[in-house]
Amino acid sequence: MGKIPLFTCPSDGFSYWIVCLIVARLDIVMTRHSLLAPTSLLFTALLIPLAGRAEVDFVHQVVPILKKHCSECHGGEEAKGGFSINTRDLFLDDETAAPGDAAGSYFLELINETDPDMQMPPEKKPRVAPEHVEILKQWVNEGMKWEPGFTFGVPTYEPLLKPRRPELPAVTEGRTNPVDRFIDHYLAENKLERPAPIDDSTFLRRSSLDLIGLVPTAEEATSFLNDKSPDKRTKYVNDLLGREVSYADHWLTFWNDLLRNDYTGTGFITGGRTQISRWLYDALKTNEPFDAMTRELIAPGSGESDGFIKGITWRGEVSAGQTVPIQFSQSISQSFLGINMKCASCHDSFIDRWKLSEAYGLAAIYAETPLEIHRCDKPVGETAKASWLFPEIGQVDAAAPRPERLKQLAELIVHPENGRTTRTIVNRLWGQLMGRGIVHPLDAMQTEPWHIDLLDYLASDFQEHGYDLKHTLALIATSSAYQSRAEVSLKEDDGGDYTYRGPRAKRLTAEQFVDLLWTLTGTAPKAFDAPVVRGVSNPEEEASSTHPSTWIWSSSASAGPVPGGEKILARRLFTPAKALRSAGVVAAADNSFSLYLNGQLLASGNDWSALTAAPAFVKNGANTLLLVAENGTASPNPAGAYAALRLIYEDGSDEIITTDATWEVSAKVPAGGNVAKWELDKLAWEKAVPVSLAAWSGAIDPQIGKVLAAVSAGAPLMVRAGLVKSDFLMRSLGRPNRDQIVTSRPNELTTLEAIDLSNDATVSKALEAGAAKLVTALGKTPDRLIDELYLSTLTRLPSEDERAVLREVLGENPEPQTVADLTWSLWMMPEYFLVR
Amino acid sequence: MDASFDPSAPEPIIRRDFLKKLSAAGAAAWMSGEPQLVRGKDLEQPEAKADACILLWLAGGMAAPETFDPKRYEPFKVGMPVASVLSTFPAINTSVDGLQICEGMENIAKIMDRGTLIRSAVQPDLGSILHSRHQYHWHTGYVPPQTVACPHLGSWMARVLGPKNPVMPPFINIGQRLEGVGEKEELKAFTTAGFFGSEYGPMNLPFPEEAAKSVQPPEGMTSARFANRDKLYRRLVDQSPHRDYASDYQQASLLRSMDNAYRLLGSEERRAFNLNEEPAEVRAKYDTSRFGRGCLLARRLVENGARFVEVTTEYVPFLHFDTHAEGHTTLARLHSEIDKPIAQLILDLEERGLLDRTLVIIASEFSRDAMIEGKPGSKAGDQAAHKGDTITEMKHYGLHRHFTGGTSVAMFGGGVKKGFVYGKTADERPLIAVENPVTVAEIHATIMTAMGVSPKTEFLIEGRPFYVTEDGKGTPVMEVFG
Repeated sequence: MGKIPLFTCPSDGFSYWIVCLIVARLDIVMTRHSLLAPTSLLFTALLIPLAGRAEVDFVHQVVPILKKHCSECHGGEEAKGGFSINTRDLFLDDETAAPGDAAGSYFLELINETDPDMQMPPEKKPRVAPEHVEILKQWVNEGMKWEPGFTFGVPTYEPLLKPRRPELPAVTEGRTNPVDRFIDHYLAENKLERPAPIDDSTFLRRSSLDLIGLVPTAEEATSFLNDKSPDKRTKYVNDLLGREVSYADHWLTFWNDLLRNDYTGTGFITGGRTQISRWLYDALKTNEPFDAMTRELIAPGSGESDGFIKGITWRGEVSAGQTVPIQFSQSISQSFLGINMKCASCHDSFIDRWKLSEAYGLAAIYAETPLEIHRCDKPVGETAKASWLFPEIGQVDAAAPRPERLKQLAELIVHPENGRTTRTIVNRLWGQLMGRGIVHPLDAMQTEPWHIDLLDYLASDFQEHGYDLKHTLALIATSSAYQSRAEVSLKEDDGGDYTYRGPRAKRLTAEQFVDLLWTLTGTAPKAFDAPVVRGVSNPEEEASSTHPSTWIWSSSASAGPVPGGEKILARRLFTPAKALRSAGVVAAADNSFSLYLNGQLLASGNDWSALTAAPAFVKNGANTLLLVAENGTASPNPAGAYAALRLIYEDGSDEIITTDATWEVSAKVPAGGNVAKWELDKLAWEKAVPVSLAAWSGAIDPQIGKVLAAVSAGAPLMVRAGLVKSDFLMRSLGRPNRDQIVTSRPNELTTLEAIDLSNDATVSKALEAGAAKLVTALGKTPDRLIDELYLSTLTRLPSEDERAVLREVLGENPEPQTVADLTWSLWMMPEYFLVR
Repeated sequence: MDASFDPSAPEPIIRRDFLKKLSAAGAAAWMSGEPQLVRGKDLEQPEAKADACILLWLAGGMAAPETFDPKRYEPFKVGMPVASVLSTFPAINTSVDGLQICEGMENIAKIMDRGTLIRSAVQPDLGSILHSRHQYHWHTGYVPPQTVACPHLGSWMARVLGPKNPVMPPFINIGQRLEGVGEKEELKAFTTAGFFGSEYGPMNLPFPEEAAKSVQPPEGMTSARFANRDKLYRRLVDQSPHRDYASDYQQASLLRSMDNAYRLLGSEERRAFNLNEEPAEVRAKYDTSRFGRGCLLARRLVENGARFVEVTTEYVPFLHFDTHAEGHTTLARLHSEIDKPIAQLILDLEERGLLDRTLVIIASEFSRDAMIEGKPGSKAGDQAAHKGDTITEMKHYGLHRHFTGGTSVAMFGGGVKKGFVYGKTADERPLIAVENPVTVAEIHATIMTAMGVSPKTEFLIEGRPFYVTEDGKGTPVMEVFG
């Protein structure tokens, strides 16, 4: 028995939907039928949807018929008998068809002709089925509606696959950066004015936001603005790119979007999804070459990077177009090749050249079992053969085992003769920095670039420099083109013809806005959600932090597996032995935990195989560590929790406190969200029971040294928005829900966002906090306060006019409220909100 | 209200005429390919019967046999067979001859002559019942997962119809928390404008009694200070040396959004968000629950020009209409929470002359049954807590399984027939739709038709057509219109 299609196929070719509706109705009817046997209902039900279909749908009904019977000889470059159906105008040429008049349309006459010498299609070809003739007739009678822009012609543009190294145009006016040599030539050729260079303060702000996601501090700004050396901009770009942690913090967002990686979201709750955060962050921190990253993502050597190809396993049945292998096909195509495989994973695409068999070919590389090809959710009776999209540079061996197939695919994607991958990634980098791709949209690499030589140069240069992402970023950021005034555009980009007139301004991303808010007001949270290791590695510290994990539970673990859902509270009181420099914790639990220090949440997690880390703010004197742990699932199973706190003293010595028998455990966990208010002394405490499991220590022990060393060393870095789960404000500002791959962020501010920014409690609290600090520090010297505020928000000093307004508003003794309002006003200015 | 705060709309910063003409639309120019309305203009749009829409969402699976479609009533007895339970409430008469609904909904019974009851809504079999998946389907018209983020019904209206009153956010979503509840990620996945971009997204008001806060200055800030802050902002924008970018599209759109925000926050309409402005005796009529207060808020918002308002009883796994146990007791409570406010909403809209132009829909993701999970023949796993054949305790008495074979959707106002019943479910188990089954796509097509939008209205997303009803194939149930 059929079932109601789960699937959405907006571009179906063969009236599949009629079939589906019938099948769907049959489902209901047959169910009923077998039970109640109201035979007449069968016919009623079948007739409703058909009678409801008023107008013929050109794309879904007419195009497939014309494709099947006509376009081979009368479409594309073929125009037998001088007749082409490429466009509606061509179709109507010589009165071959008469819109509104099927009887008077010559082409229908020929289709209905029985004389073998006259009939169309010609004698040896299959006839057009009578029901299809009816559709064509109806279409003509309804005026031959045509999809705007649709053509049977071959696409006018087919990008080159192989890399190409174009010749560099001559240098003009000493502008030697290759980007400038292309752009200067382009501007001259198109008789366009060269956009004016930006001043130091604009450059400083733009490059810092683009490369590490933060605005420079007031001190940094002052020192840069006062620096007289001629190469200070290039030095600054290199300096920014050299800040491994800040760079990784910022670019993690770009990659999370591109690889739909997140710390929470659909699928995680059911175990249908895996993060790649730790691996990804490390790759960025160490500037792993892009080809190596690609290999690890497509043919993962470990569980650290396999989340991307594993996609999302949804609960319940999903359409054939959303199975995990098909997700693989779509994601690989979009992220690495700039190909939209979503149409072709349902049927041969109508908008580009990709075919169903190609979408399934890619999927079959991933599939562990034979993959049946489905067309619009219906099996076509063929099994997909593992293959990739550009066989001209090699092919995947369909007979090889899966890990081998994945490896072969990865090698093809980063094949030296594959210029598609390199063009796709450099175009994305260009888009990030310049506000619009050389090919636009970024995910449609089949589109003609506005400067093919520039794109090809950047791609081959990227390849020649060992797929070094930072190299390309530096190349762009040090160009005069990048350091030019942003284009002033009078209208929204409609995706139509584009002429380069300078970089495009970008709106601050949600993460950038929140990072700035935290930086300027000192209100960043103390812990973050991404299971990543921040800080730069230090082998000595790592050795000193390394120890085998020790796990505990309550006495209920002594009797074997712990009841599902059991929750315990563990505590450890301690007093630092000497003056402290810094401290940090790591923890993990089977199945979940929250770790508190003196009533404040430090970290929480629900993955026993991955450490969660957080810096800790330990007091002098008595401190209390509290660990709430919960065993998951319904039936009894092993449970354990591990935590380690590393204290680094002023004299350089250190001490590690880990979960062991010295901890106390309570089987009762107090209710109420405010942990600081728990009455701990009223609980019944027992000695913690050490527990162990090879799987726990196997997964956790190798991570401890590196993570604990990084988290406990030195001044804790400010938590960055990209490392925490999305919240109300970030969602409002356009951080995407990463169920799908979304590679560009909103470029404007919406009304609802403006409302949130005007009255959101988090924003206004942060403003008050920041203002209070500023007034305490500089309240006595309003002029310095004004300078500081302008430098730290807009990276420039106020003009004389501005200063006059501010003096008037602030007066001699600035009130924190007024400073808060002033800060808000600066934040809402387009100058602040746009990276221009 | 602070007397010094001038509620009149602020002077727009954008002075150039051509910029003023830009609509808020276009803000969605993002993602990899801007959504473009494909052929809305070529399509014949139906004549609008309504210009506002209120969706009353009984989240968690409203058992039709316990609400709008009573079946044979079997009172609780220890040891009664589960199979004997069809309805746990007796039927009562309504203002429509021959139409009965369940006891506990006496007020709704009195207004059934104002609307149409569809008793034959059906849902697809998605393999395993997951509320949020069915809710996603109902709210977007598309079964998840999808390769793009699909917009909520309210976002479709916001995008296609725009705001009714330019000051009012076109899509307001009342009563659903999106943090701190189970399946929250799944809820967020459809509580969104998806590929249209957040300009068309919902204004979320999880607590109706706190709605006023969303359109007020931040806590602790007086209206005077709020107004002054805006003035300061405007002065600084004027003074900025970057003022010469004023002709820039991006800058203009940013300033326009700030204008819009301040316009709402300084408008008369913002008072619509404040339930305390309603007389105490009126508030009392709605004050049964968060949902009841949400109904009152919805009325006030629609009176002030909101386009689409959803009020939900809130989806929280295993709570409210998601009755895996204690079904009868819970439904008795829910009746008392929804009965008066729903009836009062209809009566109030009618009294104000708004009902004819406001389509009110009562719906849920599916129905419930005492025996069947999914629909007959479905492979969906049984999720009922009590699996015995007999009922030994009161907590087992109720409809504790998810049923997708036939449920009720009520519609009032907006041009639908009055006192009309469409479709029918069987009188004995399985209680499937046996007459005029109506799919989610057809419900959507009916709603959009009432709103004057062709079900075939289509946008191009990443080069692919996406329609206002699933694949553009939804056909309206024209029989429900008068």
